[in-house]
Amino acid sequence: MRPEARSDVHAKPRLPLAFSIAKADDKHNEDRFHRSTKGVYALSDGASVSFDSASWARILVRRYAHNPDFNRAWLSAAIAEFARLYDRESLPWMKQASFDKGSFASLLGVRVIDGGRLIQVLSIGDSIAVLCDGDRIKATFPISAPSEFTRSPQLLCTNPVQNAFLDKADVGFDLVADWTFRGLEQPALLCMTDALGHWLLSQRDQDPSPISVLRKVRTANAFARFVREERAAGRMKRDDTTLIALW
Amino acid sequence: MSYQAEISRDNPTCFLFVIDQSGSMDEITEAGRSKANFVADVLNKTLYTLVTSCSKSDGVRNYFDVGVLAYGGADVTSGFGGVLSDGIVHPIHAISEHTLRVEERKKKVDDGAGGIIELTTKFPIWFDPKSAGGTPMRAALNKTKETVAEWCEAHPGSYPPTILHVTDGQSTDGAPEEMAEGLRQISTKDGPVLLFNLHVTTAGGGEKVFPTTESDLGDDYSRMLFRMSSPLPAHLAKFASDKGYAIAEGSRGFIFNGDPQCVVDFFEIGTRPKLVADR
Repeated sequence: MRPEARSDVHAKPRLPLAFSIAKADDKHNEDRFHRSTKGVYALSDGASVSFDSASWARILVRRYAHNPDFNRAWLSAAIAEFARLYDRESLPWMKQASFDKGSFASLLGVRVIDGGRLIQVLSIGDSIAVLCDGDRIKATFPISAPSEFTRSPQLLCTNPVQNAFLDKADVGFDLVADWTFRGLEQPALLCMTDALGHWLLSQRDQDPSPISVLRKVRTANAFARFVREERAAGRMKRDDTTLIALW
Repeated sequence: MSYQAEISRDNPTCFLFVIDQSGSMDEITEAGRSKANFVADVLNKTLYTLVTSCSKSDGVRNYFDVGVLAYGGADVTSGFGGVLSDGIVHPIHAISEHTLRVEERKKKVDDGAGGIIELTTKFPIWFDPKSAGGTPMRAALNKTKETVAEWCEAHPGSYPPTILHVTDGQSTDGAPEEMAEGLRQISTKDGPVLLFNLHVTTAGGGEKVFPTTESDLGDDYSRMLFRMSSPLPAHLAKFASDKGYAIAEGSRGFIFNGDPQCVVDFFEIGTRPKLVADR
């Protein structure tokens, strides 16, 4: 049997599971996600110490779902949409200053094409995508080691000046990974924000494997229980935590 | 390990600015402004930056408590005016709400698409320059010690307070070293209070920036200020290094004969928090 024949490539994209939990019960969750049966998924982790990262994250995932072809024009349109949410001149000085400084968020977008023949991953920031075969991690993007989460991530910002790092990047190469489900016996795709990503990469050699732990999480309540237990055990950072899982 | 506490609304940290307003602060710098005027401008900008870093669309989050102690003549008082003059240290949201006035300034900014646009920006003022009388540094540091001890008692688990002391001259009410030593012995569970000293001058040259030893310093006064200063914690040492300063093991938070750029950098480095919770 050729490897392609073993692949679990689905003719029709399925709706993945998706869960999100705030850093604390009394805190606002600034992660946002989008999923569809069209095979386009996105999540964004809004940086809490910026003006309105939740709205910015919402705009990013919604726009990605509508049009996943990310480029500078795409980003300019997203910034313009955010700017329309506020009347800058009428803001009190401290909000105006914070608005000018900008709102920051990651963007992780995934397109599953032809049932997994091609999986295109776009990532800006420290949210990660994980390709699995059974309980084994086959690939991660853009971060592959837990230590990489200690660096300050470069995030998309509503202040265009803060996006200058994109000028140095080849958007179609540096920010993108192409994967496939072909040849995998039990393919799965996970997208997650940094706290869960750090947990997964830190636990990858543990038994049971972190993939098998996540595979058992099938409801929002189970996800909340799992995250709270890992936080309490000191294995997961207390932060907004989001998972999109295509099992 | 010290200076690891996460700064959050539940565990804020404290910045206390101790500002010399003695008569000699009216000396004019090479830029044509008095030292007092320049320090006031940098302090207002620093407060603006601290408030901005805590401001969100739904309000100002209390990551920091902030105070200003001003000394000159016979007085050691709150450097704030109006409602804020009743106490020394205030939550950052109170600082944001009680300015002396808000000015409008124009600034040119990059539009991100290769162009420049002019923006009118609201700029708050809390602190006006003053300069008169002697330099009661000992009394000022004693008041600082009392203020900080009280704050640490109320916030035992927090990242410890950072004191940024700006002076241009020698104490006129006795040796301040003993007060500084007592101040640096106050601590939270996360480590001892940080005391950074900045000596400003109108004359260029001869500056010593974040030195590692007092032997390079030319007189007893500068050596005393060196001994009064805390070593830079690793994260601040890295930030200072990233700004181009020569930092070595044991570099202290001390600048002698600092020029205007040193003043700006001193405030920026000193108010750089290690971590702010929930990024």
